Amino acid sequence: MTEQKSLFSYETDTVGNESSLSVRLGRIKLDNPVIACSGTFAYGLEYSQFYNTAILGAVTTKSYSLKPIKGNPPPRICETASGMLNSIGLQNDGIDMFIKKHLRQAEKLGIKIILSIFGQDLEEFRKVASRAADVKERIIAVELNLSCPNVKKGGMAFSAIPDEVEKIVSSTVSILNIPVIAKLSPNYQNLVEAAKAAKKGGAEALSVINTVVGMAVDIETFRPGLGNVLGGLSGPAVKPIALAKVYSLAREKILPVIGMGGIFSWQDALEFLLVGASAVGVGTANFVQYDVGKKIIEGLRNYLKEKKIYNINEVIGRLRT
Amino acid sequence: MKLLSGEILSNEKYSDNLYKMEIFSPYICNNATAGQFINVKCSPESVLDPLLRRPFGIFNIEKKFNVFSILYRVKGRGTKFISELKRGDILDFAGPMGNGIDLNGSENNILLIGGGIGIAPLYLIAKIAGGMKKNVFFAAGFKDNSYLRWEKDLIELKINHAVLTEDGSWGEKGLVSDYVWNNIRSFKNFDIYCCGPRDMLKTLQNIYKDRNNKVIALLEERMACGVGVCSGCVVKLRKGKRGFSYKKVCKDGPAFNLGEVIFD
Repeated sequence: MTEQKSLFSYETDTVGNESSLSVRLGRIKLDNPVIACSGTFAYGLEYSQFYNTAILGAVTTKSYSLKPIKGNPPPRICETASGMLNSIGLQNDGIDMFIKKHLRQAEKLGIKIILSIFGQDLEEFRKVASRAADVKERIIAVELNLSCPNVKKGGMAFSAIPDEVEKIVSSTVSILNIPVIAKLSPNYQNLVEAAKAAKKGGAEALSVINTVVGMAVDIETFRPGLGNVLGGLSGPAVKPIALAKVYSLAREKILPVIGMGGIFSWQDALEFLLVGASAVGVGTANFVQYDVGKKIIEGLRNYLKEKKIYNINEVIGRLRT
Repeated sequence: MKLLSGEILSNEKYSDNLYKMEIFSPYICNNATAGQFINVKCSPESVLDPLLRRPFGIFNIEKKFNVFSILYRVKGRGTKFISELKRGDILDFAGPMGNGIDLNGSENNILLIGGGIGIAPLYLIAKIAGGMKKNVFFAAGFKDNSYLRWEKDLIELKINHAVLTEDGSWGEKGLVSDYVWNNIRSFKNFDIYCCGPRDMLKTLQNIYKDRNNKVIALLEERMACGVGVCSGCVVKLRKGKRGFSYKKVCKDGPAFNLGEVIFD
């Protein structure tokens, strides 16, 4: 592949006076850098009541496994200071249902789909990837949720062990033959090693960060805030953590990074782009401000226009230190 | 369902912790019905703490004036924030959400059983059913007399009702579930709608276990999105003989057959 050299380059195409928002992450080309994060947007149907979700750079679906999963016992949500904990437990109705039903609905809406998949072990990842391969012309990429528990390794996330990351990435890449994005967990110290392993395996890009492990306690009932005790923290509370992770990963120039974690506004999105993210994921914000994706795209466009920057790629990684 | 902003026409304090807020919204008045809810941003514009919207069942709709209202109890930071909003302030909310209750297919006799703030969404059922000339009876139970002002609203609807309080400070002393049990024969051919604390619903589930009444419970759960995306607000429902499935209160509910709900 000759892609390697051009991974971090961009085309200087501008249309009239309008600044170009299009970005490239390896072979993945997006009209704008705003992506809805997995698990916060279903596959776009619900939010289409509020705006045309086809304007988003892409929508990452909720994570699908081979068979339907019921998920964790409630309560699954617990609000914390400027954030929320969740322990949904990867509830989903299985990859076949996505292929049979949901994908068509998303296509009708004109949504560009990144399909998120996961498995309990390498074998399940391979099986789900094989199913996804049947519809590879209809999706722009597959995102691997590597923060889910690896049953064969005592439930530790795949993301924790770089060798596992490489194995899963390389084996799904060979099955899929379309761009594969590795979504990494911030809960382990080896983010750079995991990213390198993803690259070795043939990943096209990285999604960083998934939720941060956290918990809450109800002092009236002495019970944990979540039915599952531990959960994932998201929202504005995690933004500085996410930004630091994206910054430290992007400067290594391993793979293009989709930066995510607490992005609620175009200003937040811009911070991630400045530290080197090639695109941004908007997650929890969708729960609060249903049309936030649209607002961020508009905000970025206006900012570029005001600053007379004709191409968004001119701000990517331009942090002055 | 839309993202809306509506002018607050009043935010009346009913008692220490209980408020009724009236909001101007032609859209809600024309599109919402009993059982549905709105999802309210409970922090100032551009402020993200408290972060999540809070769901409130629609208490009343006055179509003629394009005004609807919510009845709410101040419980945490979110409800504290909206309790401090004044007439003329703008409420940021979305709605109507959830499935409405269709009374067309229901029995002519309707029993409403409410516990605490659970009376709020039942009030609109009472109003609509009353307007359809159905025979409505409202049994309501509270800890104390802090909901006293609500009885005035109910009297305006001319709905027959019984009030029970745990401390006996208003109405009869006792639990609303005991009241229902003691009067079970009077409500033989009634369709039942109930909303309230889990313990009350559990007791009602036992009472109506082997009876033929249609019993619908309006459930609440902590929500993140309110639109059916996050799967955060699920409740456990019976599926087949031994199985269960999780259903979303926001999108599949908030009304469910009480007999199917599993209270763990």
